[in-house]
Amino acid sequence: MADTSGVEYMVRRPAWHTRLLRSFEESGLFSTALLVPVLIFFIVWNIIPLLWMVGLSFYNYCLITGVPEKWIGFGNYLDIYSNFNMWNAFGRTFQWVFVTVGVETVLGVLLGLLFWGSQDLPGRRVALTMIFTPMILAPASTGTFFRLIYDPTFGVINYFIRSIFGMSIDFLGDRAWAFGAVVLVDVWMWTPFMILITMAALGAVPRAELEAAEVDRLPWYKLFWYVILPHGKFILMLGILLRTIDSFKVMDLIYIMTKGGPGNTTETIAISLWRKAFEGFNMGWSSALAVILLLVAIAFTSIYLYVLNLSKRGEVS
Amino acid sequence: MRRKGLRRTLHHIVLWLVAIVFFMPVFWIILGALKTKEQLLAIPPKWLFVPRLANFVDLFIRPNITTYLITSVIISVSAVAIAIVVSFLAAYCFSRYQLKATNLIMFLLLSIRMVPAAATVVPVYLMYVAFGWKDTWLGLILFYAMFSIPFSVWILKGFIDGVSPRFDETGLVNGGSRLHVMFKVVLPQIQPGLVAAFIFNMVFVWNEFLFNYLIGGRRTTMVPVALSTWMYAQAGVDWTFVAALTTIYMIPLILAIFFFQKYLLIGMTFGTVRGEV
Repeated sequence: MADTSGVEYMVRRPAWHTRLLRSFEESGLFSTALLVPVLIFFIVWNIIPLLWMVGLSFYNYCLITGVPEKWIGFGNYLDIYSNFNMWNAFGRTFQWVFVTVGVETVLGVLLGLLFWGSQDLPGRRVALTMIFTPMILAPASTGTFFRLIYDPTFGVINYFIRSIFGMSIDFLGDRAWAFGAVVLVDVWMWTPFMILITMAALGAVPRAELEAAEVDRLPWYKLFWYVILPHGKFILMLGILLRTIDSFKVMDLIYIMTKGGPGNTTETIAISLWRKAFEGFNMGWSSALAVILLLVAIAFTSIYLYVLNLSKRGEVS
Repeated sequence: MRRKGLRRTLHHIVLWLVAIVFFMPVFWIILGALKTKEQLLAIPPKWLFVPRLANFVDLFIRPNITTYLITSVIISVSAVAIAIVVSFLAAYCFSRYQLKATNLIMFLLLSIRMVPAAATVVPVYLMYVAFGWKDTWLGLILFYAMFSIPFSVWILKGFIDGVSPRFDETGLVNGGSRLHVMFKVVLPQIQPGLVAAFIFNMVFVWNEFLFNYLIGGRRTTMVPVALSTWMYAQAGVDWTFVAALTTIYMIPLILAIFFFQKYLLIGMTFGTVRGEV
């Protein structure tokens, strides 16, 4: 007689709750069910505030005057458009993004190249940790401490400047220096990111091509241009775009260090919005500005994804 | 590349110098935490001094600082944990079921993460005040979970895409349920993604200042906000306090990037760039 116990096991019907679970998993509902938590988060924390914001942007709504809110249509937008300070703030923001990202990219690529082939560096892990530390620190606390470092009487930097030039500079309080001083802190914080990206880009270059280049005795600039760049350019572009977006977003670092001052010299668009919303409590006006910022961010994201798709297609071909 | 000994040594010295330059301000903060107030503000700067731990003791004698540290830990860990569970479900769905809305949702998720915080503070603030969620634990934890979801979904989707669907099929054919496949077959294979998502969202939440300042309050203050409100002593800024608190607060992060260095790239680019450092 053949052993039928195995057969019997196979034909035994699963318990009812297992069957129910199975049929649920096989139905089209299951994939939707997986999305439900994300959608709840998305609706509660994004769609509702977003609609709220768009709605508010058409009202004249100020928290402290006590005047009831009033529908003014595109009044806030027109006001932003005709506001000279806003144009300045936008200009400064782009200047900020351009300078920080530019300096960080150049410096990051150079230092990243320097770290190329450093696998045999003694204590490499410690050294890299030291380099990457600035970008994981809280801007709120580093910004605070940089106020001491930049301080005209007690700061370290001014000690050296005094001993060389015999005078001290109030970096964060002087209109001529404040912007550069804050840029320098951002560069210190985020150049490591571009170093990291450059190292990844270099990792994408196939070994065989590097060896071929070495055999051919390619000069370094040709090596960079013809061998490294074609393989690493997408990673670099993604890195630069991410930095652009992040640099556009920066707010706590600047706010903690200068609050947008002296004068308006470090007032980027994000700082203007913050001041208008939480120092002037003009919620309608700042919502309108926020809608504009949102559109800019969506544009940046689209560009980022476009490049990302290009790079994926590049990998396939 | 084979290089001569001297050139190699020079190269290494230059690399270490770069590392030291970048670390200098952080080192200065740590030194400041070990000095007395007079030494910290001394001109010329003091490099040699007898280190003392009094600042740290002082930190913990102050009321509340311990509470703020615990609040920071609880809020950031629970927010990121919730975010990762939610994101894993969604990422699995995006990766395995080719829904029509996948690209659109992924795009929307990424764009909310790209919006400047300043643009979202106004409606979020008004919403929290209106709903009475301001200064509640749940309100903050869920907000930060939302904050962490976009990156987590992107990171995890990339990793689940890397696990062949054949694993799922084999699991299903052999009688495992879908949930069994998700949690027992796929989940163990994307551990690096989970670690990267966890750590880098932790970094963001841990350091977050604006929202904690606005929608938090006395009960839910985290350290960065506490730092900016408590730093003023009778005579100006209490710098030893700032230095000591900053030092304590950054130690976990520095340890994290030391031990999980290979996940740094994935984490900082939300999985869109892979590679070895």
